[in-house]
Amino acid sequence: MSRRALISGLMPFAGLACLVAWPLVFNSPYDLRVFTLVGIYSILVLGYQFIFGHAGALALTQGAFFGIAAYVTGILGAKFGWSFPVTFPLSIVAPVLVAVVVAIPVLRLESHYFALATLGIAQVALLIAIKWESVTGGANGLAGVPGIGAFGLVLPRGYPTLAFVWGIAGVCALVAWWLMRSLRGRAFQLMRTSELAAMSIGLDTARLRFLAFLLSAAFAGIAGALHAHTLRVVSPEVLEFHVMVTCLTMAVIGGRTRVVGAFLGAFLLVQLPEWFRFLEHYYLIAYGGALLAMIIVAPDGLVGLLDRIGARLGLRPRHTLPAPVPLPSAAPEDVTAEVPLLSVNGLTKRFGGVAALEDVSFQVDRGEIVGLIGPNGSGKTTLVNIVTGLTPADAGEVRLMGQDITHDPAFRIVQRGVARTFQLIELVDDMTCLENVAVARLTKLGAGFGRSRSPTEVDAPFGLAKRQAAHLLERLGMLEAAFEPAGNLAQGLRRRLEIARALALEPRLLLLDEPAAGLNEIEQQDLAIRLKGLRTSGLALVVIEHNVPFLMAIADRLVCLNAGRVIAVGKPSDVRADPNVVAAYFGAQPADGLP
Amino acid sequence: MLTLQLLVNGIALGAAYALCALGFVLVLNATGAVNFAQGDMVMAGGFVAIALVSLWPVPGLVLLPAVVLITGLLGLVFSAIGYFPLKSRPPVSVFISTIALGVIFQNVAMVTFGPEPRATPPLLVAGNVDVGGLTVSIQAIAVILIAALLVGGQHVLLMRTRLGQSLRATAQDREMAAALGIRVNLMIALTFALSTALAGVAGLLLANTYFVTPTDGTNYILKAYIAATIGGWGRLHGAIAGAMLIAVFEVMFPALPLLIPVLPVAIHGMFSQTSASIVLYLALLAVLFLRPQGLFGEIAQRRA
Repeated sequence: MSRRALISGLMPFAGLACLVAWPLVFNSPYDLRVFTLVGIYSILVLGYQFIFGHAGALALTQGAFFGIAAYVTGILGAKFGWSFPVTFPLSIVAPVLVAVVVAIPVLRLESHYFALATLGIAQVALLIAIKWESVTGGANGLAGVPGIGAFGLVLPRGYPTLAFVWGIAGVCALVAWWLMRSLRGRAFQLMRTSELAAMSIGLDTARLRFLAFLLSAAFAGIAGALHAHTLRVVSPEVLEFHVMVTCLTMAVIGGRTRVVGAFLGAFLLVQLPEWFRFLEHYYLIAYGGALLAMIIVAPDGLVGLLDRIGARLGLRPRHTLPAPVPLPSAAPEDVTAEVPLLSVNGLTKRFGGVAALEDVSFQVDRGEIVGLIGPNGSGKTTLVNIVTGLTPADAGEVRLMGQDITHDPAFRIVQRGVARTFQLIELVDDMTCLENVAVARLTKLGAGFGRSRSPTEVDAPFGLAKRQAAHLLERLGMLEAAFEPAGNLAQGLRRRLEIARALALEPRLLLLDEPAAGLNEIEQQDLAIRLKGLRTSGLALVVIEHNVPFLMAIADRLVCLNAGRVIAVGKPSDVRADPNVVAAYFGAQPADGLP
Repeated sequence: MLTLQLLVNGIALGAAYALCALGFVLVLNATGAVNFAQGDMVMAGGFVAIALVSLWPVPGLVLLPAVVLITGLLGLVFSAIGYFPLKSRPPVSVFISTIALGVIFQNVAMVTFGPEPRATPPLLVAGNVDVGGLTVSIQAIAVILIAALLVGGQHVLLMRTRLGQSLRATAQDREMAAALGIRVNLMIALTFALSTALAGVAGLLLANTYFVTPTDGTNYILKAYIAATIGGWGRLHGAIAGAMLIAVFEVMFPALPLLIPVLPVAIHGMFSQTSASIVLYLALLAVLFLRPQGLFGEIAQRRA
């Protein structure tokens, strides 16, 4: 083991040692309570990382969930005298229920709407807490919340409470780490970079975001309940906006997606104001200043900053190329060969009064390369969007191997074996090429959210996915770029990388939207050869292109669209000579041929 | 009669909300970013007026130009710190930076003025006038007139002047505007200034009747947001209509038991300021769910 590996391997233990040493050194009752609060806020931020960090949605509800849970614990404990084993689960359930109700209208919204819509919940909760005096104690709140305990025994303040809270924080950290490790973490990274790309690899993004939101609420519930038990009072302060701002600041300063970041952020933002208490309200100004400075200077937070420093010092383990492993060969198909792979029948789509597609029908067989041509605005991309489920059709049907997929959601169509690439390439620029491809193995390798695996094979799917990804990169002749961030690649390689990712889905049908756009002639020829090579495995391709010579070289058949109608289908040479096609491209006068 | 009186109060409140919402939408259209501190700028406008009046005790109307100037300058500073360093990052970054700036504004106000509610001087004089048997506060009428003037002025500025054309061109398509020789960054900075000045005036207008405290910003940004959502995201006129609707509702709802005597006494308790806010929020959720394009809009606009 090299010295570098030793240092980076020892870091977690050093961190853990500091964590244990801290409350032993700073051991006044007040210090211990502050350190307990660090643990509580760590749980809150760990939860917030699910929705804000991983799912990338700026929710402003985390403070409200925290406050709601604190009130549930407070009301049930102080007013009804119920104890921890009953109130704790209820305090977690309450914010989760609120999250479910709110998520239905709000979660599909884009970031701004989402953030502000969620803020309203916090305001309403605060108003209720202040005005509903008979239950909540009004502006004064409720005193006499019992400590953590069961069956008449209550954990004393000081070390026992601290140890309990930190124990739960440890469990929460493990859960958060386990849920977001390896492939899943990369899948969330893809989702927050490009929702479209996430759907195109078969991820049910709405469900993922929903789960992340519920997890956030559950963690906030844990933190809120523990907060009420630790302080032994609840007051409207727990619902005020500054709790939310504190949580957001902790996540931004510590790091949005890393477990360590949550603890780091919580520690700094709870401890520092304690030391600088003499600053009074000025410390909140400093909070704001720190948040602003961080978002401008180091958007990845302190953890990201430390990572960058570590990388510069060479503390990162070196990349070793995983040995390529081919994808499993396709299972024998249970459908007779007479049924075409894809059949599109009478597809019609209108945008407002404009018919984008009018009664479009065509078929694609196994192992066939079909070129889709037509002037700009003839409906080519709309057609691909309907086939892949991104746009609903007004009429007509799409069948894949005889099965109707017209109304399936996009991710399910992908899972059935239809992959695509985009006209404007959708990759995660700061993820390596290898990971960009590996993430598309998520659904096939069964490492999806909520599916359990035995702890012995924790990283097995990720390792296998990377090896399979290496195989695909090799197949597309770009293995040497495996550890290059996708953002560093030239256009031609980016196209190929996107194709490699699509192939990782083991598709039966691959739709390519202008794959040759932006490529020079040599890159085009290279791409043409690779695309022809793909169909040997029975894969069918539909290629949208303006570049007719490129298509002539690879396509078995051409389909020409004009103004939303199919005006010609057949052999490339026939379609090219078809007078209707010529007229569509050049206006009414027939010309000698297409460019 | 009572209904009419309340209606006037509601419109006055709505006029001030509209100024705030208008600024919110202007920045939204120009930058694609939400200015979360727009509500805090309303608060800032109120406190600027209070600070000015402590130096120079004159009616609010006289202070108006100074408030416009100071909050406008604040907007320039605001854009320089909160927007321009982040303009090529995802919009969420700007959202967070404006939250941070909002926190700073709030606590600067807290340190300077303390947490107690303060009131700005009336625009002209305190008191009521009798208009055809209707007793209306002079302040409410002045608020409505000034807000109407500003909204009209803003409309003329955007639609009839060369500067307005440049501002609109920038909002529509920044790259195209730059290609046409428009100084895009200057236009965006001016949009921020215009937006915060509108919010600042709203603060001056509101704080006489409704007082101002350093933590008021959250409430106002929510109102601006709800107005913008109800009116159709990104639509100026929609935001004004939305603001009016919210304000009239807010004023009328708690008074419903008085207006509709047949309501059983047992449920009178349901009509309070608090429940008005809750109903408003539920209405927002319903609009988001059923008509995301807003109540008046036809085209759903996508803004990433």
